[in-house]
Amino acid sequence: MRNANGNRLATVMLLVMPLMIYLLFYLYPLLTVASQSVDNSTLYEQFQTLSEVVEEGSPDERAAALVADLVAADRRDLAEAARNLNQERSGFRSLLINSGKKAEEIPPTMEGLIAFDKRWGQQVYWDILARNIAPITWRHFQKASGFKPDGDGGFVQAEGDDIYLRIMVRTIVIATQVTLLTLLVGYPLAYAAANGKPRLATIVFMVVLLSFWTSILVRTSAWVVLLQTHGLLNNLLISLRIISEPLQLIFNRFGTVVAMTHVLLPFAILPIFNVMRTIPVSQSDASRSLGAGGVETFLRVYFPQTLRGVAVGGGTVFILALGFYITPALTGGPSDQMLSYYIADFVKKSLNWGMASVLSVMLFGCVVLILGLGSGAWLLFKSRKGGH
Amino acid sequence: MSRAIYWISLVLSMLFLALPLLLVLPLAFNESSFLTYPMEGFTLDWFKIAFTQPPWMPAFLNSLKVAFGAAVVAVVIGGLAAMGTMLSGRFGQIILSGLFISPIVIPSVVLGVAFTYAFGRAGFGGGYISLVLAHAILGAPLVFLSVMTSLKGLDPELERAAASMGASRAYRFRTVTLPLAAPGFMTGALFAFVTSFDEVVVALFLAAPQSTTLPIALFSGLRDRLEPTIIAVALMLSLLSLMFLLVLNWLQQRSRYKTRGK
Repeated sequence: MRNANGNRLATVMLLVMPLMIYLLFYLYPLLTVASQSVDNSTLYEQFQTLSEVVEEGSPDERAAALVADLVAADRRDLAEAARNLNQERSGFRSLLINSGKKAEEIPPTMEGLIAFDKRWGQQVYWDILARNIAPITWRHFQKASGFKPDGDGGFVQAEGDDIYLRIMVRTIVIATQVTLLTLLVGYPLAYAAANGKPRLATIVFMVVLLSFWTSILVRTSAWVVLLQTHGLLNNLLISLRIISEPLQLIFNRFGTVVAMTHVLLPFAILPIFNVMRTIPVSQSDASRSLGAGGVETFLRVYFPQTLRGVAVGGGTVFILALGFYITPALTGGPSDQMLSYYIADFVKKSLNWGMASVLSVMLFGCVVLILGLGSGAWLLFKSRKGGH
Repeated sequence: MSRAIYWISLVLSMLFLALPLLLVLPLAFNESSFLTYPMEGFTLDWFKIAFTQPPWMPAFLNSLKVAFGAAVVAVVIGGLAAMGTMLSGRFGQIILSGLFISPIVIPSVVLGVAFTYAFGRAGFGGGYISLVLAHAILGAPLVFLSVMTSLKGLDPELERAAASMGASRAYRFRTVTLPLAAPGFMTGALFAFVTSFDEVVVALFLAAPQSTTLPIALFSGLRDRLEPTIIAVALMLSLLSLMFLLVLNWLQQRSRYKTRGK
């Protein structure tokens, strides 16, 4: 009993610091990303007076609240709010900023507002305000998905508004292509490392490990040198007279997929290798002695047992590929950039934390989905095995 | 037939894996500034440029500083976390392991956004502290995993033997368990160091101009203009990776030797 208590105390003591650091410098930052994706505090704080009357107040009450908010507004915050509202309806920026500049001269009634600018007479501007000054907003999610409320409780998607959904699909397509290729290329290498003659196995394994440890940037730069217009591959093909003009091998989908496959290859090979190592050679020998040919033995006896490794390797590569940024940025063209690129872009170019956060949440959601499917399949597999 | 398929696929895969670096890295010694064969003569000029001209040397030193700091912090967090997790119950172990390993599966861009926003608001700004902290979070799961592996591989009889001779829990932990698990800590530290040293994405988000790391310098060099200097730096980095791999191999052999006794 004394021992168990001592144990618990020691455990807590040991865990306090790592848990604190994870909480402060890891979980908290992730939570801020999640909250930023729906955060609307800039607009909410700007129009706090208005938000209390915007639903049920009379026109004059609303006008008075709006004027009061505009009078109290800080110039820079107002510009930021105007920029956000302008995304809903163009022209809102000028309307809001002009009204803000003269706010102190505008009489705080609806008539006074309309006399200052006719547009305040249109209901649509008030509707947009009402939708966008709540403390929480789905604006960024709507922009990312392209679906907007149509006013009757349904959703509509306007033509050309599906850009981020298409980028999402592109990201998944590239990740799938890369995963299939790494498995195809990685399987023979894992096989040789696990079952080849000792010398060959050691060499293959060392090359895989070395590749694993070499920085992604170094390997990507090798591909840039190989594939560029006057790069090694084009020069070789031209000197062999196979082609007369250099081929476009880089800054397109081909370059992206090939370089990503190379970079991610070790992550597919190592799990397959670990499973293959545990399969006894005697099984294949037994199958051969019972009259099965080499191909049949492989397909019916060996391959099914390696599927677990293939699933782990493929899953790892897929998850890593979904979040890739560096390799596509260096070897892809504008239409080969993945979700990560746009996330970084929103932060670096426009400090648009809302959009960056929404896309981050989408990317993270994909990863969690894959992990969930993977562990689900794993549990199913285990319970099946237990049932035998 | 099956042998032919095996050999053809093996040779092709091997070429795909090994050839790019084998072909490209020797160009670091090429006299011409065009990165192509045939080579026009042997020179070490590109290495000289890498050692003397900015941004390479300062970036390399920055990378060393950040990676060293990140590895130290990661070993403390990851090591304590592993020891604490080892001592907790079955259910606790699953939850804690999940939490401590989780940074591995989160896309680095997502972490980059999270760190930039949260650290920016906390006033760390861009620079060493935020970079070291962020990289420590990325490295801690690796330390955690490698210390967990080496703690799990220990023979429980050894601790029992020490207990039977009257050693207290703390004394046993300090004199028996920790020394035996030391290779696990070392391996973890190495992993954390290399992870930080090679990390680009989070660094691109967090680094200030004066704390530019080597991967950032390489990345912007590759985007700007591809020069042989970049290949020279890449070659040196590859040699460094080879060195790390050898050290790791040595550590693992040592830990095998220790846990098996004799």
